[in-house]
Amino acid sequence: MTVSEVLIQGPDPEIDPEPRTGEVAGRSPMRIAMDRLLSDKVAMICAGIVLLFVLIAIFAPLLCKLFGVELRAGDPVTDTDSFNYPVIGPPNYGFTWEAPLGLEPNSGNDLLAEWFYGARTSLLVATIATVVSTVVGVVLGLIAGYSRGWGDRVITFMIDLFLTLPFLLVAIAISPMLVERWRENPTMLDNASLIALIVILSIFGWMGLARLIRGEVISLREREFIEAAHVLGMPTHRILFKELLPNLVAPIVVSFSLSLPATIAAEATLAYLGVGVTGRPSWGQTILRAQSWFDEYPLYLYAPIVGIVVLVFALNLLGDAIRDAFDPKSFR
Amino acid sequence: MVAYIIRRVIVGLLMLVAMSFIVFALFMKNPVDPAQFSCGKNCPPERIEETRQALGYDQPLLVQWGAFAKGVVVGREYPADEAMREANPELVTECAAPCLGYSQQLQMTVNDEIAEAAPVSISIALVAVTIWVVFGVLFGVLAAVFKGTLVDRGVVGATLSLYAFPTFFVGALLINFVAIKWGIFPAPGYVTIAEGGVGEWLLQLMLPGFTLAAVYMAGYVRMTRAFVLESMSEDYIRTAKSKGLKGGKVLFKHALRAALTPLVTMFGLDVAAVLGGAIITEDVFNYYGLGKLAVTANETYDLPTIVGLVLLLGALVIIANIVVDVLYAFIDPRVRVA
Amino acid sequence: MRLKRTVIAASAIAALTLTAACGGGDGGGEDPAGEFKAGGGAGAGKDATAEGPLEIPSDAKMGGTISVVTNNAPATLDPTRTYYTDSGAIMSGLVTRSLTQYVYDEKSGDSILVPDLATDLGQVSEDGLTWTFTLKDGIKYEDGTDVTAEDVVYGIKRSFATDTLTDGPTYQTTFFKDGQKYKGPFADTDAELQKLPDYDASAGWYGGEDYDGVEADGNKVIIHLAQAFPELDYYASFPVFSPIPKAKDKDPLAYESHPMATGPYKFESYKPGTSLKLVKNDQWAADTDPGRFQAVDAFDFKFAQDTAKIENQILGDKGAAQSMIGYDDVTPPTYKSIKEKAPENLIEGTSPCTYMYRPDQTKITDKKVREAISWAYPYQAAWKASGEIVGVTIQPGTSLLPPGTAGRVEYQYPKGQDGQTTDPEKAKALLKEAGAEGFEIKWYYERDDEQSVAKKDQMVKGFEAAGFKATPVASTDETYRDDQSNLDAPINLRYGGWCSDWPSGGSWFPAQWIGSNANKPGMPNPTNFKEADADAKQAEILKMDADKVPAAWGEFDKWMQETYMVEINAGYDANAFIKGSLVGGVVNDPVKGMPSFSIMYLK
Repeated sequence: MTVSEVLIQGPDPEIDPEPRTGEVAGRSPMRIAMDRLLSDKVAMICAGIVLLFVLIAIFAPLLCKLFGVELRAGDPVTDTDSFNYPVIGPPNYGFTWEAPLGLEPNSGNDLLAEWFYGARTSLLVATIATVVSTVVGVVLGLIAGYSRGWGDRVITFMIDLFLTLPFLLVAIAISPMLVERWRENPTMLDNASLIALIVILSIFGWMGLARLIRGEVISLREREFIEAAHVLGMPTHRILFKELLPNLVAPIVVSFSLSLPATIAAEATLAYLGVGVTGRPSWGQTILRAQSWFDEYPLYLYAPIVGIVVLVFALNLLGDAIRDAFDPKSFR
Repeated sequence: MVAYIIRRVIVGLLMLVAMSFIVFALFMKNPVDPAQFSCGKNCPPERIEETRQALGYDQPLLVQWGAFAKGVVVGREYPADEAMREANPELVTECAAPCLGYSQQLQMTVNDEIAEAAPVSISIALVAVTIWVVFGVLFGVLAAVFKGTLVDRGVVGATLSLYAFPTFFVGALLINFVAIKWGIFPAPGYVTIAEGGVGEWLLQLMLPGFTLAAVYMAGYVRMTRAFVLESMSEDYIRTAKSKGLKGGKVLFKHALRAALTPLVTMFGLDVAAVLGGAIITEDVFNYYGLGKLAVTANETYDLPTIVGLVLLLGALVIIANIVVDVLYAFIDPRVRVA
Repeated sequence: MRLKRTVIAASAIAALTLTAACGGGDGGGEDPAGEFKAGGGAGAGKDATAEGPLEIPSDAKMGGTISVVTNNAPATLDPTRTYYTDSGAIMSGLVTRSLTQYVYDEKSGDSILVPDLATDLGQVSEDGLTWTFTLKDGIKYEDGTDVTAEDVVYGIKRSFATDTLTDGPTYQTTFFKDGQKYKGPFADTDAELQKLPDYDASAGWYGGEDYDGVEADGNKVIIHLAQAFPELDYYASFPVFSPIPKAKDKDPLAYESHPMATGPYKFESYKPGTSLKLVKNDQWAADTDPGRFQAVDAFDFKFAQDTAKIENQILGDKGAAQSMIGYDDVTPPTYKSIKEKAPENLIEGTSPCTYMYRPDQTKITDKKVREAISWAYPYQAAWKASGEIVGVTIQPGTSLLPPGTAGRVEYQYPKGQDGQTTDPEKAKALLKEAGAEGFEIKWYYERDDEQSVAKKDQMVKGFEAAGFKATPVASTDETYRDDQSNLDAPINLRYGGWCSDWPSGGSWFPAQWIGSNANKPGMPNPTNFKEADADAKQAEILKMDADKVPAAWGEFDKWMQETYMVEINAGYDANAFIKGSLVGGVVNDPVKGMPSFSIMYLK
């Protein structure tokens, strides 16, 4: 599976959880899963790492102050030599608290500050996109599963259609068009690029979950408590959101935790292809700039790469652990 | 069975029709003039008009789409405008069915472009698929057999961390160190079998093949491992074991077979996607396959090429889906009912 | 979000490098007063007697393929529209032969003008209004058909169709007979003429084949001028003066997909924006060509390649990369490592361009404020932030004419300004004197280009430190050039450059700093500079004797800056490109600022 594949298809249908609700009497499935998760050491370490990244993202400005670094404040004249290489900091001049991650060649901007703020952009984009695609997936899945006949057919068709579209190709092709809408107003371009990226990541992220939810709803809707609610004359939207939704928490949580890392990775991939955010630091943009310096000044490239790899790795393991926690049949 | 296949094919065709229409509408009805795109920067207004006519962009969207669909079925001629064809018969380009369009920028049909680029993509895909299936299944079985040991953790951890690395980074590392610094492989550059023989051809495909396989490997390892483990705990395996069958035989005759069905499914869909151009890999290694063609077309605003490629790739996935579904129906008759 | 990554200029700097050695589509030669008389001097050597064949160096191994890789992509390869350094170097160097050409002279390290298709550099009549070029015998196209004088004439006529074949050089419309009226061979009916932009019924426009400004007489091409054009021999080296068979030109805009070759190489395949493969043209005869040879089997151009990848491959110098060459300026890390590892594979040289910050004279009216900008501008920081290597890809200076131009005078103005000194205190003092503290400077930058943004950040810092109010205005990669040439743009400082079309000062001042062009749409005079005494001085120089002109332009350069402080010199463009170890014969052609493809071989 490529990054994009996971993103398109969501978690593999084959290994998808099929939560056995109510297998252990007395405790809610949520509770059981939480207990399992809390006793899973690997999962807890990963959760710790993820939490750390989230804190970095939230407190990026504070961290910069703490480390005494400033965003985009380099002075090329004093901070770089005649080949535009930084004159202080690693890797060429040894560690210094003045620039713990070194400076950016050409501009002399601080790379640690860039990295902190980059984490912020990456997490922001990935989280919003995943939340949006989750909401869309849940809503469409609920509707498809509950409405028999045409509603279901149309949504299923849409799901299959979006699964068929080649993600990267369509993404690189439509992003300029989305940005084009702000062409008349370049000051809006920063926001336009951000919104376009989130839109692209969202519209290719909802299908797996929608399909999953639909399946669950189809099996749930025949159950007594739904029938009862129906007979009692409960309005459909209440049945969907008050009765059905609570029973779908497990697949939603699992799907969310597995699409988040995929979205982060997809964001970096898109940045490499030139579809990225402008105007604010982002790991993807740093990677793009750092490529030509890879050979001579590798730290420039390694910093954002390590950020992405560690975050994606931890999130993936955590997602696996969450899935296992919800699914007693899984193997570890 | 036949009825099922027919039903699947019809749904697949419907999907293609719908997809082509959506893609068409999306790209042709965007805020920027597609004729301007095709004509390039600094294009004089009357030339834009000409391009618009030549490519048929002056027609309503539905008519354009109709012409396109007809072209796919029976082929068509460019320029799209009949009067223009008659005025300049020497400029007419024949585009045989299934005609996917005509690129003004490259002055050739999209079919020809694809025909040129496809062998590269297929070659990379072949090597990548071989690598990831062989090693994916091998490592998966290994991990399952040694479940819970260091081997298991090592294999799963390694493939998962490989998966966490962005593809372009893996590719760049391989080029920079394995090819350029250490000189283990030649500097990347696609060589056809006709040019360099099978050996050279294969040699030049190893690095991109591995780069592409790296991302897919993790999925196969985990899936093989999960299914082998699952089937090992099934009753019939326990029976086989208790009958005194040897471990290795049990593993390969029974456990692995259980994992085969889901693997084939996943494999079918992945191959369709990979054939459709490994955009990142081809871009990093600069191999002019379908993926690189897509990137270039995007950079030069070559909309007909992009539309043609999206449709081709979509069709591949749809076909793979149908094949997998039909295979499934053969293996498991219950599917047909569902 | 960046619209696209590589193709078409990625930054302002790159955009400019592309147009080097061209007068720009806007002003170059369109000004009727542009009477070019300068000539001779540095970089303007001529040899009317040069004869082929050109000797192939002894270390050349015949055959092989040279791969040329670049981040850029030529806008067009139509000979008539070839007005960019890259397309010019490719077409003139390898594919199309014009009436004259440049050949690199090892002794002087310069390019000199020699005959190409013509037997000499042209014969000019007494009154300077008729030029005659005699074609050599036995020149053939790639398909074996003979090249005729008619074909050259047709090629020239074609160049008048500037509305169909856009972006080409336009000197012919200024100097040739009926240049403003004749609209080329394609628009041959009134209806078609009326469709052309800016149609004026009273202007007497005409089109079609019937044009007597150029005529063929046997094997002679005769050009009739409306006003003297002493430097026509230089201009005749442009691919505009290459033969184009009319029979192959059914669709003028498609001609670029396979222009008929007369040079040593012909098109095998061309994918605009992507690749160009050139193979040997067996109809080319070495003994007729004093400027080119045919040492390799093929040239394989790959456009729009990723800079980092190109540089890593060539630096690695393994296998196929040994016969690779790039023509983009190298990035700082690559410059450093190739200097250390293989300096012989680094080629440095000049290009005929000057970058300038150009205050709008109608908006920044006080000369003291303009001088203050020259002290406030953060030269070093801006260069570095935009990835230039000072002294390698950019050369500081204050004269507007770039090094290598005939008659160039070096001076420092304002006093003590050497073209790279930033002194906020001096700027503040000048602003105070002018009573313009907190003066607002507004300029465009490209929002979607990281380097442009980084440069903007430095400029804001620099200007604010010097007591200006800095207001960068966002533009985009796509629209930057159009925005800048908009007369009503909400800015008062423009960025741009100018390059010589040939190494003489005459292709500079009348083209960009003549008062009659001020305040016109499209900004042919980018600073809206309009001073009666400056115009008078220019007119005076245009009437001087040819041998006095270069020095006069040099002095005018100095006078104009001292008197009016018209431009802030932001550095001369310079080249640094790299090649694989097997590529030989690589020199920087100072006239174009490109590698000389015509004398390249594999070792």
